[in-house]
Amino acid sequence: MSTAVSALSIKKSPLSVFLQKNLSGWMMLLPSVILFSFFMWVPLFESIQLSLYKAQGMRFVQFVGLQNYFDVFAHPDFMPAIVNTFMYTFWSLIIGFLVPVITAILINEVRKGKSLFKIGIYLPNIVPGMAMILMWSFIFKPGDTGILNILLKFMGIPSQAWLTNPEWTIPLIVLTLTWKGAGATALLYIAGLQGIDPELYEAAIIDGAGIWRRIRHITLPNIYNLARTMFVLQIIAVFQILYEPLVLTNGGPNNASISIMQLVFRYAFQQFDYPKAAAVSVIISLILAVLTALSFKLNKVQDM
Amino acid sequence: MAKKTKIDSSGIIRDFDLKRANVRLTYRIIYIVSCIALFIGVAPLIWIFLSSFKDLKEFITEMTIFPKSYDLSRFVVTWNALHFLQYYRNSFISVLGSVFCAVFFNGLFGYALSKIQPAGHKVLYTLILWGLLIPATTSIVPLFINITRLHLNGSFLPLWLSMGANAFYVVLFKNFFDSLPKSLIEAAKIDGCTDMYIFFKIAVPLSQAIVMVVVMYSINAAWSDFLLPYLTLKGSGLETVMVRLFQFRGSRASDMDILRAIVFVIIPPVVLFLVFQKRITQVTMQSGIKG
Repeated sequence: MSTAVSALSIKKSPLSVFLQKNLSGWMMLLPSVILFSFFMWVPLFESIQLSLYKAQGMRFVQFVGLQNYFDVFAHPDFMPAIVNTFMYTFWSLIIGFLVPVITAILINEVRKGKSLFKIGIYLPNIVPGMAMILMWSFIFKPGDTGILNILLKFMGIPSQAWLTNPEWTIPLIVLTLTWKGAGATALLYIAGLQGIDPELYEAAIIDGAGIWRRIRHITLPNIYNLARTMFVLQIIAVFQILYEPLVLTNGGPNNASISIMQLVFRYAFQQFDYPKAAAVSVIISLILAVLTALSFKLNKVQDM
Repeated sequence: MAKKTKIDSSGIIRDFDLKRANVRLTYRIIYIVSCIALFIGVAPLIWIFLSSFKDLKEFITEMTIFPKSYDLSRFVVTWNALHFLQYYRNSFISVLGSVFCAVFFNGLFGYALSKIQPAGHKVLYTLILWGLLIPATTSIVPLFINITRLHLNGSFLPLWLSMGANAFYVVLFKNFFDSLPKSLIEAAKIDGCTDMYIFFKIAVPLSQAIVMVVVMYSINAAWSDFLLPYLTLKGSGLETVMVRLFQFRGSRASDMDILRAIVFVIIPPVVLFLVFQKRITQVTMQSGIKG
């Protein structure tokens, strides 16, 4: 307001008016723009640049084009890591996607002590990831000292190998992820469920709709939008899984649980081969970009 | 009758349905399954808390849920043996700075995007929204290299500042400031207040609700953060509890020590959550962000 008035009376050049109008706003944006550039935007492009060079430690030595990518593809751990990461994503959608939806619908029906249920299911979400993982490592310990095995022994069932059984590793790790995340996600769905106009249900009752038909024609369509957002976010999150295989199995047994982010970790922080780590990072970003675009597109097709 | 239903429940099963016996049975089953969900969420935490009172022999051989004795001296031994005081202190310093940065920088950004809107603000906001979808961990390698080049390793500064660049918090702040009446800001401007003054003296005091939320989310995020602290603080003596917890694996620490260490790590966020549970669950539901 005041700037506009002064501009009229003194007749400054358009540029200085423009500057005067925006300068203080820009000054307020500046610190965060610097931070976001440093922590998010610039590293994204530097990843691409870095992946095209050969480096000694942190010093760029030579431009090598796509050589790092070829080396990474040729590494024997690469294919298992890619396949496993898709398996993590697959299992997390099978196990983890519907659990919060169902939990939310059930808990939303509860008429007494609903807030207690909400607090209880949210609780695992605030347990720090590293502590959560170590806790599960005690539960899944193979041999006679593991908690689950002790439980099984009491029921007369022989000990299981749990995480050291290559066929179970990924689904079990996904179970721990689901334990941590499902409750908080369910809370988001409960919020969506509470937003449904009760009159819709009343109207359905008048039309003689039973409980199942109400779920199908009112409840599910109303949380559909939320569900597809969660779907995309879950793919993005699980595709970057790192801590769980790193701590629980270190990628084993025999690469059965190694994830693609773990390759980045190994290249960068165990072998100090930063360009190859960057190359894997870029590959992850590309795959995720394709997956995200695909799921948006699929949703669009369904909308029509 | 219809009015009463609206107040009672937002669920699919209405009061009217409960007159039928088979619906009442369904409702009972739903209640039991919900109780099981609650149990699954809480049981592992209760188990680890109770088990941490046991000694190794009791832990392995006894199947009892409750320990024989509640001997706190075992916790003291572990606390001292693993030098937890030092790592707790490091974590607290890291959390304090992170919380300040999370509120100050993201709040300022959200405010400028919402209420000042200088030229180019739309582009910036689009970049922020894309930031929600961009995989964060994939830029960790160049970020680590840049931090090393600036000789910021072994300091809390990168951890603090990294919390100042959080797209989720910016969106939370912006949405909140969008709901503040524009006339308030205009009036202050006519009175000759600068943008900074308006932000600190008018906008922030009016936004205690959202500030509290970001404070709680960022406490939890900073306390739980692992990868960046591990890379920048490893071997510096400033390791946070999460970094140490990772390093205990494969060290000489016994199983029971690790178990108790896990309890030490879990207790602060759990206490914080139980104190503020109402607000945290509410905001999670309103904002659509898990925190």
